[in-house]
Amino acid sequence: MSNSHLFLKPAFITTPGQNGVGRYVCQLQRVVLKFCKNNGSSRGMREFIETKLMDFVKESPEVAVYVKPRRHRTPIIKAEYLNGDTQWVNARNFTEDEILKWLKLLKSQSSDRTGIRLRKLIHTDFPSVQGPWTPYTFRDPQLNKVEFPCPELTGPFINETSATEELLELYKRQKLGNVEESRAE
Amino acid sequence: MFCRHILQATNRLIGQSSMNIQYIGCRNIKRWVAPTMKELSRRRKKVGPDPNKPRSSYLEWNYDVELHCFQNRIGETFDKNILSEALVQREYANIQEFKAKEEGNESYIPEQHNYDLAKDGNAIISDYIKEEYSKNYPEEIAITVQKYLTTDEMLAHIAKHLGFTDLIKAVEYPLEERTLADSFKALVAALSLSSDLERAQLFVKDFVIAQMNGKDIYDIWTPEKPYEYVVKLLEQRGIKKVEPRLCNQSAVNTILANYQVGLYDSNNKSLLGIGWGENVQIAKDTAALDAIQRLYNSYARK
Repeated sequence: MSNSHLFLKPAFITTPGQNGVGRYVCQLQRVVLKFCKNNGSSRGMREFIETKLMDFVKESPEVAVYVKPRRHRTPIIKAEYLNGDTQWVNARNFTEDEILKWLKLLKSQSSDRTGIRLRKLIHTDFPSVQGPWTPYTFRDPQLNKVEFPCPELTGPFINETSATEELLELYKRQKLGNVEESRAE
Repeated sequence: MFCRHILQATNRLIGQSSMNIQYIGCRNIKRWVAPTMKELSRRRKKVGPDPNKPRSSYLEWNYDVELHCFQNRIGETFDKNILSEALVQREYANIQEFKAKEEGNESYIPEQHNYDLAKDGNAIISDYIKEEYSKNYPEEIAITVQKYLTTDEMLAHIAKHLGFTDLIKAVEYPLEERTLADSFKALVAALSLSSDLERAQLFVKDFVIAQMNGKDIYDIWTPEKPYEYVVKLLEQRGIKKVEPRLCNQSAVNTILANYQVGLYDSNNKSLLGIGWGENVQIAKDTAALDAIQRLYNSYARK
């Protein structure tokens, strides 16, 4: 995550209304292309409408496309989604290819995603199939037969010898060895 | 910039004679601009935000195109008249007729509304859900699931995500849940009239039953007294005596007390269900719920 993403609203991946479980429903319901008929900033939009709009409409019959000319104003792509979101894209000085790319992006989205960062690229509502931990999960079955109070279970679990004990052991062994040697002499 | 506009305007007002005036470009903005803009924005704020208008009142709106897109969106083809009938609320149709009468318009043909279609659609949806669920579950669960899926809230939610909101002709705006749900039901009936019943059932499966994805049936259906229920259920299956055993307990006499109870078959000493709780009674009920789930799940697998 970079600094520019710090103030974006964090979100998880979601699917509105179980989309795609039965059938896939395109979430973009309507697009309005607003442009000016003689302003230079709308040139790409005009060319898009002349050359590529019909192909786009044929490709995506589930999206209603409206064209709205208005004088001396910046071209805008206004997208409306099924969940009620509206997204404006400022298409000033865009080329026709850029507009087509934006439209394809809007079509593949499920809502207005501007100002949102995904916390993770995966999400699940059921993080554990196994279920929650309880005091009895992975419990040793032998404990069922133990009668309390039990002296083995009341002390500490550590069975390893400490360094001091080991040294004492070595010392004892050495002494014994010396005694045996002197006897042999 | 404002200065230049004003100069041009005055030039136009004065006429051709002043065309040869050489104006010097000035870089400041006139003193009246800021106060005027402030006043305008103050008035704008005072008026408040625009009222929420229905999409159909916008200039860029074509109902036929919207209907065409709607059919493509849900992947079905409809008879045009039946489809538009399914999207008209009864109150709306009545009010339109009343208005036409008041105006004295005798050539007015009353609009068809979706009241009858909604009734038929409701029957189709309910029957199909019950039929599908009783394949795997006992009748009472099937009925509970059917009731859960056919609430106005659920159907309105589905309808919203299919784009009904802007298409329905209704009196109120924003739409009530009931209006949305009725239209959805009517659409299912319209589909069965336009194509056939199977197609309508497939539609219900894809959009209504699909809502059960990721949901647990036992969150929706829970018996009131699980232990009594499971004892009765086991009697039907030939297990006469159930033996609840306290398997584990921890933190007794504290606020975090925890008990684990298992239900066993008295004959062959096999485990039927196991559950936890903060006291023995709750743990026993949880174990009973677990036993019910195990019984019905094995039943569902068959």
